Amino acid sequence: MKSSLLRFRVMAIVAGVMSLLLWFVDLPVAYLFNNPDWKAAVAWIPFVHGWVYFAYVIVALQFSVKAKWPIKKILLLLLAGTLPVASLIAERRVVRRYS
Amino acid sequence: MTAPTSNSFFSKVGQVVAVLLIAAIFFALGLWQLDRAKELKESLVTATQVDTNVVPLTTIATARQPLQAEAFNRLVEISGRYVAGFRAPNQADGDGQVSDWEVGLLQVGTNQGILVVKGLWSERLLNPDISMAMVIDIKGQLVASQSEDRSMNGDGAISRLDSSVIVGLTDLDLFDGYVLAKSESNNGVELTRQRLTPEKLSSRIPGFYWQHISYVVIWWLMAGVVLYLPFYRRRVKP
Repeated sequence: MKSSLLRFRVMAIVAGVMSLLLWFVDLPVAYLFNNPDWKAAVAWIPFVHGWVYFAYVIVALQFSVKAKWPIKKILLLLLAGTLPVASLIAERRVVRRYS
Repeated sequence: MTAPTSNSFFSKVGQVVAVLLIAAIFFALGLWQLDRAKELKESLVTATQVDTNVVPLTTIATARQPLQAEAFNRLVEISGRYVAGFRAPNQADGDGQVSDWEVGLLQVGTNQGILVVKGLWSERLLNPDISMAMVIDIKGQLVASQSEDRSMNGDGAISRLDSSVIVGLTDLDLFDGYVLAKSESNNGVELTRQRLTPEKLSSRIPGFYWQHISYVVIWWLMAGVVLYLPFYRRRVKP
């Protein structure tokens, strides 16, 4: 349980940072500015975010199933990885409850 | 006594259906990304293979309509009169040589027009006897409009090779893209000057293709996780 909690914490922080980059750097560049150079420079963000989110899902599932969370709570935890600061908030709440 | 069993049965069936539905959605999203990757690859093949048949411009392009992917880089022939001239600064040719280019606005028929890159700006005085009254026959390559400015508009200069930057200067219905002239002739007499080579086309598949493929893997792994989750929960339960 302790190691799965640590894995979840690490991935929640990484996913939170990647979500911030995706929402506040990649999406504005892609849809608000017509600059191909900028678009090319930030093209790695959605790519990395996709894989980071997948890893977040795996560790979040592992942690929440071990903690015997109900399905609804597990789904909310998974969705938290898609919003800019939600996974960071989730990480803080989990730490407060389980550390 | 039977009610809980029945509820439990329906709950189990509901869970199985939900799991299968979510897994199917993830699988479908993977197929969608696979489709996008395939489309991207096909469009690149279209863009990098130049069809050597020369076709009339109007058979592959329509004024005031965006160029279709199939029309990019096709060799076209077109006749008309030059009604305006521009300097296009800081343009790079196929060898990466940066120079100012001479660009003419060719009137086609009575109300259509297209930008034609004639050659180097420094050679613009080589054919001084060409006038607006003359019909010029052009063969050249139809190229997609540039999207980035190379300079400022003004003083007879256009910031990029894009008909949208001269919309305010003419009443003609303009074609999208521009023609990079390989030859110009008047009454069968060819106008001699150095012709420019188009930028080299790359057949390398850009990162976006692999990005789509990567998403395919992620979506299908997600589908796998959803299918495995019920078994994992059962295994973890004491």
